Amino acid sequence: MPGNRSLSTQRRGVRQDVVRLLTLLLPGLILLGMFTFYPILKMFIMSFFNWRIGYQQTSDFVGLQNYLAVFSDPVAGMALVNTLFYAVVTVPLQMALGLFVAVLIHRITRFSVTFRLLYYLPVITSWVVVALLFRYIFNNQGLLNYFLKDVAHLADGPVRWLSTRWMALSATTILGIWKGIGWNMVVFLAALQAVPLEQYEAASIDGLGAFGKFRYITLPNIKGTILFALVMLSIGAFNTFTPIMVITGGNPAHQTEVVLTWMYYQTFSATGKMGYAASLSFIVAALVAGIAILLFRFIRPEGEGKS
Amino acid sequence: MNRNMLKPLAIVLVLLLVGLTAACSTVTPTAAPTATPVPSEPVTIQFWHNYDAGAGQIDVLKTLIAEFETANPDIKVNQVYLEWSALKNNVIAGATTGMLPDVLRGDIGFVPQFQSLNVLYEMSSLSDYATVAATVMEAPNSSARMGDKFYGIAANTNTKILFYNKAMFTAAGLTVPKTQDEMWTDALKLTGSGKIGFVEAWTGVWNVGQYIWSNGGDVLAPDNSTATGYINSPVAVATIQKLADLYKAGALSGPSMDPGAAGDTDGWKAGTYAMEIDGPWRPSLLASSGIDLGAVQMPAGSAGSIGVLGGEDFMMFKTSDAKHQEAAWKFIKFMVDEKAQVDMAKVGQMPVNKAAMTNADALAAMPLLPVFAEALKTAKARPVTPKWGDMENIIATKVAEAITGQKAVQKALDEAATEIDALIAAK
Repeated sequence: MPGNRSLSTQRRGVRQDVVRLLTLLLPGLILLGMFTFYPILKMFIMSFFNWRIGYQQTSDFVGLQNYLAVFSDPVAGMALVNTLFYAVVTVPLQMALGLFVAVLIHRITRFSVTFRLLYYLPVITSWVVVALLFRYIFNNQGLLNYFLKDVAHLADGPVRWLSTRWMALSATTILGIWKGIGWNMVVFLAALQAVPLEQYEAASIDGLGAFGKFRYITLPNIKGTILFALVMLSIGAFNTFTPIMVITGGNPAHQTEVVLTWMYYQTFSATGKMGYAASLSFIVAALVAGIAILLFRFIRPEGEGKS
Repeated sequence: MNRNMLKPLAIVLVLLLVGLTAACSTVTPTAAPTATPVPSEPVTIQFWHNYDAGAGQIDVLKTLIAEFETANPDIKVNQVYLEWSALKNNVIAGATTGMLPDVLRGDIGFVPQFQSLNVLYEMSSLSDYATVAATVMEAPNSSARMGDKFYGIAANTNTKILFYNKAMFTAAGLTVPKTQDEMWTDALKLTGSGKIGFVEAWTGVWNVGQYIWSNGGDVLAPDNSTATGYINSPVAVATIQKLADLYKAGALSGPSMDPGAAGDTDGWKAGTYAMEIDGPWRPSLLASSGIDLGAVQMPAGSAGSIGVLGGEDFMMFKTSDAKHQEAAWKFIKFMVDEKAQVDMAKVGQMPVNKAAMTNADALAAMPLLPVFAEALKTAKARPVTPKWGDMENIIATKVAEAITGQKAVQKALDEAATEIDALIAAK
């Protein structure tokens, strides 16, 4: 039957498409598998072993012992609290400031590119370089103490900014916020440009002020972007490593450790506690996934466009 | 676990962590089968080290390697510099992959740690090891001994003495302290208007052990069986309490206690720090700083002046084949011989070779050699036990908590003892 033939030709066509698709996808999938999925799987296995990395050493299966070790480790708890602190402070503040800058830049017609460049500059600068700069600012003999002591005469001696847990962490959050404003600005600027101008015009006719427009038109329109930024930045905050490593190194006595620096310490400064580090990273991954799900539940992007 | 499954991960790990240098450095050309003994392909041995380029040690090393290669045309030495922690991390990563050097010259503290990774070659099994070991000083070489076996041979040795800023002492009208009590009092007197009396770069046993030992205490039982009654003994508590008091008064500082504090070398150069108990590298690090540095024996505590034994050992690896091991051992013998040891002494490495210790050239190059030689007589090695790295990390953390006042000294050191004992129990 002619119908049958056309169907089989169609099928053959589909099969050819699938083959072609797979051929094109395969290199990417192989790379992704080798460098992303395989290590994740391997690490999951490692987290159940007392993983010995020594030459020709065998690893013993220890069940959930590594996970229990993480949960009973006071430093891991402290590192987690420090990470949460970093996330809770840096994420909303850099978003708010980034949005603020984006709104300002969005409205100006001249020098817009100049300002965008200036605000974006910290983003493209190396973390190590800016972290070192911040260390020089907050050092006992750093820039900040110089101003406080020698210029403004507000302090008698050098203030030990980095010697205690919360002060040192606050210094790193300032760095995190400063460095993140530019990224937020670019993301929000793009979102602002997509907001339909007619809505603003209609609102003007209805007599809505600048703040009202922002509250009832801008914010609902960029809700999806806000969620996107929130999720990306929260994940980013849990991946904080360089600023802590460079500015405090987790010192004094692990007080300023974040989860990644603690993981690094367990792997390299301690004698290769790979199993512990692997289970810690899975706990963190679960936590980040949980936070992301909560955020999606909390701010549903479906509100977009409704106003 | 299937070892083959490790390979892909190992490759990733090496690329990410070890970097290209280490990855490339292990690609050794296989020697062609030698039909005739004369024009054989040379064996290339990989040599990882942390000789100090700033002090000119790498230049001397290159010259020494050239001399060695001329004398041994069938051996090529490929030297790779790695900074202290990179050296350690690369061996940890290399333990998985088998990508390890043929010879390593590193901290004596690495020996027990690497031995626990099962990577070190037992050098006392070499037929002429005892003969060569007899030419080096016994105390430094004891750092390579675990049980009755040797997993290395001493490369250089050191201990620490008191360095002080002469100008600051003169300005304060102080004389050089003879006892540790005087040293602490002086530290307080020298502190103020931006100056800090004393600096300690870390809070591990490398730094605080000398004060506990000099006052008759210890950190572990002599047989390494327990820490209770040692690290938390009244002597240790009183010693750390003294340091805590100094920190509180602003007379003691260092980046591991206060991340905002200047590192020791930076602080010395800026004229901030007045005193430090440090090793033979200190003068060369301040050579062009214009700081007039004084150096004397570490002031004595109630039990004398007992410094910490430092230095480096040469180590060989199980992963090398017989041919490379033979070449590696030849190179090590060359490096511990008087000539190489004297050349290294000229750029700040204190020799272990007995003949080099009294060599006129070495003495001329290292004016402080007699001071250090005297200090070495009483210097004490840190415990040589496989878990020492973890134990010292525990002590460093707890001592930092005590010094910075986060915990009472007794409480912090009790916790250290408990944690170390748990580590010893977890065989």
